[in-house]
Amino acid sequence: MASPAALDTTIAVVTPENIAFDYQLAGPFRRLPAYLIDLGVRWGVIIVVVICLALAGLMVSFSGLGSFVLAAGFILYFLISWFYGTVLETYFNGRTIGKWACGIRVIDTDGRPISGKRAMLRNLLRIADLAPPLVLSSFATDAMPVFLPTGMIGLLTMLFTRRMQRLGDLAAGTMVIVDERGWRLPVAKVDDPRVPALASFFPGDYRVSRSMAKTLAIYAERRHYLTPARRREIARHLAIPLIDRFEFRADIDPDLLMYALYYRVYLSDPSDEIADLGPLAGFSPLRRDQNKPQGLMGDAANPISPAVNRPATATAIAEPTPRAGSNAPDISLLGKSLPRPQPHPGVGQTDVGQTESGQQPGSQQDVPRPEEQR
Amino acid sequence: MNVAKLLEKRRVQWSELERLCDSMEVRGRTDKSGFKHHQGVQGIARFSTLYRAACADLALADTYQLPPGTVTYLHRLVARAHNQLYRANKFEPQSWSTIIFETAPQQIFADPCVRVATLIFFGLFALAMYLGRNDTIIPGFADRMVGTEQLSQLEEAYEAPLAGSLNHYVSMSGFYIMHNTGIGLRCFAYGILLIPCLLSLAYNALALGTMFGYMARPDIVGGDNFFEFVTAHGPFELTAIALAAAAGLRIGLGLFYTGGLPRTESIRVNAMKAVPVMAASALLFTLAAFTEGFISPSPLPYVVKAVWSVFSSGLISFYFVVLGFPRETGDLVSQSTAGDQPDAA
Repeated sequence: MASPAALDTTIAVVTPENIAFDYQLAGPFRRLPAYLIDLGVRWGVIIVVVICLALAGLMVSFSGLGSFVLAAGFILYFLISWFYGTVLETYFNGRTIGKWACGIRVIDTDGRPISGKRAMLRNLLRIADLAPPLVLSSFATDAMPVFLPTGMIGLLTMLFTRRMQRLGDLAAGTMVIVDERGWRLPVAKVDDPRVPALASFFPGDYRVSRSMAKTLAIYAERRHYLTPARRREIARHLAIPLIDRFEFRADIDPDLLMYALYYRVYLSDPSDEIADLGPLAGFSPLRRDQNKPQGLMGDAANPISPAVNRPATATAIAEPTPRAGSNAPDISLLGKSLPRPQPHPGVGQTDVGQTESGQQPGSQQDVPRPEEQR
Repeated sequence: MNVAKLLEKRRVQWSELERLCDSMEVRGRTDKSGFKHHQGVQGIARFSTLYRAACADLALADTYQLPPGTVTYLHRLVARAHNQLYRANKFEPQSWSTIIFETAPQQIFADPCVRVATLIFFGLFALAMYLGRNDTIIPGFADRMVGTEQLSQLEEAYEAPLAGSLNHYVSMSGFYIMHNTGIGLRCFAYGILLIPCLLSLAYNALALGTMFGYMARPDIVGGDNFFEFVTAHGPFELTAIALAAAAGLRIGLGLFYTGGLPRTESIRVNAMKAVPVMAASALLFTLAAFTEGFISPSPLPYVVKAVWSVFSSGLISFYFVVLGFPRETGDLVSQSTAGDQPDAA
């Protein structure tokens, strides 16, 4: 944490609105496909133009215009091969066809849009970035004298500059950024009824620090990719000081505690009444209440302790049978229409811990599974 | 404060802004977003309102303690809208005449790189021509420099007197534009690496000089035809090659001769200075191509071609010296820095 700037490939830009926001820089692995697509498009256009001109040349050859067609062909070839990128980047706001396909865009290093002059400079200098060329005839003597660009210069310059600029970018003062659409807006929703119940036991005047709030949000976004054991392992680091501070029972599930704190910070409304807790009513996770009768559930029942650490006498209240219907994720995106990036790893199979039990607490949680009543 | 409710409320506007960005992707028009109130001026006004609101949300993200995922989303959204709001500057053809007739000659006159490149090019050219003409100084110089095959091809090509038709002229000038300007642009681009640019410049000087010297030997049959051919376009083309290399060298020198600027900044400033010189060079290449296409191969009397050659040399001198002489009012420094940042306004 000693270095002030993040190691991420982002560049902060201050807009005229006096807002600083981050651009994500595009690296070689995004820019190479864009270049290859552009190369293909360029040659495609040239071939189409040549065919059209050849047809036109056949038609007008009587009138002596064939040479004009030929001259036009030469000049068009010259213009397309040297100024394709310049024109497209200028007229399509910093994007060529390849850049559009790969979701990247060229802008000024100050975050302003690219100008025609800069676009020309960076596109003309591309040939220097593609150096040194590999000469095929140096390997096989009978090969055609074909020059294959290796692009080493541009690659090296990109590696050694902060903004991942190639030489043409350095000279023109431009950089290439990622400009993709369709970023989803991830917000977690809590369906587990134990979470609000536990959240109500945090003192009302407790305010989490800014870094703690950030940590909680990252944890809540990431936790459904983890197995319950891994969640507890990660959550324990922050949960143990909290347990000490608020005098919770020692056998409380760290994951559940972190999740409750997340709920408390981000989702709960202080004015809200605590919802009907059902069978959980009267249960207290506090250490001083550990020996008191725990409401309806009796003192052996402890719905908040981690499944694996429970003493053998405890009932399986917190470990319901996984049902087909309970496979719904406990964290869902606010945007229902947005697709999930990938299916949950192991939900319903490995995730038989506490957090999946939130669907029907009344029917499931207080009915112990018969085979575990030993 | 409930973040979830806040987000639920703001999300509506954010997704509207996203739709507007989608529709502005190609031409900057808001019409395609599908909403009635996004047509024309209304759409632009709506876009700027939403953009400012998103900016404000981003600025307050820390205060609201928004989750990091949401903050990242907001960064992307604002960046995207920013790219649509501030769109690329188009070319300004009205400024091109200023670049060609004011900025470029002054830059050429003041730039030591032009002198260096010109000296290298014409010095090596003269040297190679001398060595190519007198085979006794370094025996076999011409053959080794250009190649025996090429030399005999060159000799054959000019054995017949010059004659051609209009068709031939037109297509050849197109070819010369493509080929020679391409060489110039390549030389310019390699300038940022310095050495390839110098090598390319020196190679062109030596090869051309050797050919000239070889054809000037008294025992070559087509010598007269060759010099009749090259007289007309020589001044334009040779100057253009030297200028393209000079523009390239200007960028490459920026790496070493930074003038107190950071190195990357120095490259940028020097590259912006090089653009007008390169533009002048491209113009000269085009003029040379038309001359080479139409005047050089024509059966016009030699006097006409010589007069054209003298005239074009005078034109170049006028361009470099008279137009390029430092003005009292706008000195070069302020001119070139103003030229660097035309898009700053």
